[in-house]
Amino acid sequence: MTPNLVILCAAGMLVTAYLMVGQKSLFTTIRLYAAQSLLLATVAVVMAISDARPHLFVMATMTTVLKGFLIPMFLMRVVDRIGIHREIEPFLNVPTSLLACLGLTVVGYRVSTGFPEGTVGVTHHVLGVGLSTLMIGLFLMVTRKKAITQILALLTVENAIFLVALGITSGMPLVVELGIFFDVILAVLVLGVLVRRIVDRFESMDISRLSKLKG
Amino acid sequence: MDDTIFRAVVYALLQGAGMLAVAPLLRGTIKKMKAAMQTRQGPPLLQGYYDLAKLLRKETVRSEVASWVYVAGPRVYFATALAATTLVPVLVAMAPLEGAGGILGLIGILALGRFALAAASLDTGSPFGGMGGSREMTIAALAEPALMLGLFTSALAAGSLDLGAVVRSALAPGVVFQPSDIFALSGLFVVLIAETGRIPVDNPATHLELTMIHEAMLLEYAGPDLALVEWASAVKELLYITLLIDLFMPTGIATLVAPVPLLVAAAAWAGKVLVFAVAITLVESTNAKLRLFRVPELVAVSLGLGFLALAIRFL
Repeated sequence: MTPNLVILCAAGMLVTAYLMVGQKSLFTTIRLYAAQSLLLATVAVVMAISDARPHLFVMATMTTVLKGFLIPMFLMRVVDRIGIHREIEPFLNVPTSLLACLGLTVVGYRVSTGFPEGTVGVTHHVLGVGLSTLMIGLFLMVTRKKAITQILALLTVENAIFLVALGITSGMPLVVELGIFFDVILAVLVLGVLVRRIVDRFESMDISRLSKLKG
Repeated sequence: MDDTIFRAVVYALLQGAGMLAVAPLLRGTIKKMKAAMQTRQGPPLLQGYYDLAKLLRKETVRSEVASWVYVAGPRVYFATALAATTLVPVLVAMAPLEGAGGILGLIGILALGRFALAAASLDTGSPFGGMGGSREMTIAALAEPALMLGLFTSALAAGSLDLGAVVRSALAPGVVFQPSDIFALSGLFVVLIAETGRIPVDNPATHLELTMIHEAMLLEYAGPDLALVEWASAVKELLYITLLIDLFMPTGIATLVAPVPLLVAAAAWAGKVLVFAVAITLVESTNAKLRLFRVPELVAVSLGLGFLALAIRFL
């Protein structure tokens, strides 16, 4: 039962990453990120119970509260305030992006077999899914124009790293994880401010305009 | 030998009749739940049956220029939907006519029905019919490979293209859950939405000419012809849901034909169909209809997920 639940949630995270690539509404992307974080929290809870690692409960709670609710709400408010065009404009069109992500997933799975822990059973799938999500996150960051989607891609990468850490190690020490959480909050806040500055300056969130110098 | 064939035929007839009888109820349930989410009262649960009865009593009105293709369309569509029900295990972990065809047979039969209806929609030469037919085929051309990839993922695990064998292997003890199942399920759920004309893809409740897909094909039909198509569409919807249940949550299905397991299986099946109905209602209520040119992107996602599921099986 336990490995099934872990695999279910981990694969669910990869599915949300795919849906992020596959659709264009900004709000849905933010909601997908929230769903992904909740799935991650579920993985953490299941591992905490099955391996008797109580400090993972703290992580799960923080993931749920922060990444499942606060950060998505904050991002939605930023989008609302700015009142931008609510569609994502990727550099690559959706079918091409999906194809690229398919390739990335295959690579992620293949690479995961290289880890000594990654060759069998649950760890194989968790690692494969984690690495694939990581690469899809990086891909999103490269191919999306809007600053908000870049933040979301960064957060996806962060979720994926968390998942890989859960899969390989028996969880990082609590202090390290708290530090990471603090970093994430700070990054989102700073980037949120930055997005508004970009919009003020360029009247658009399109970061490809940043390459034009403005005196 | 004769006896087994006789039994298979009786079983197939019973299952087909059962699916025909239950299908309109599923649509009614979804409509009722949608209405509840919009704090409306909605039509009564049995409205689907009333509508069918009314349509079947009406006289047949056909265009003067309609040829036999127009007449055959709804009939072939209905017949294929009914034939497809005999290839899918519903209550027992065995399809009634398992020897007649597996996954490929099922997909082929469904494609035949769709082709017949699209061809019929072109027959009278009305622009709406042709438009609807072309749109339906555009979406089907993408949804069908997605359906095949999703089904093949399960077939690969079972080592057989027979749906009954797929279900039996999923029930075998010690089968572990695979991430590829999630991908296949997500992909097939999108196919379910697209093929049954549910909201992000098509809106079953509207007749607005610019947006409709499935309904546009049927504009010319009236009376018993229309009833056949509506009924077959409802059966198809139930069929797709049953297919997803068979592949991904077969627990509870009867492995031998006896009263108690059959009752348990019926209850489990009804419960699981209801779960899918709730999921469809939620999707329909929380999403806006996609622009037509966005639909291929959505279906491409499901195609990607199906392909991914298949790829992960090998890695």
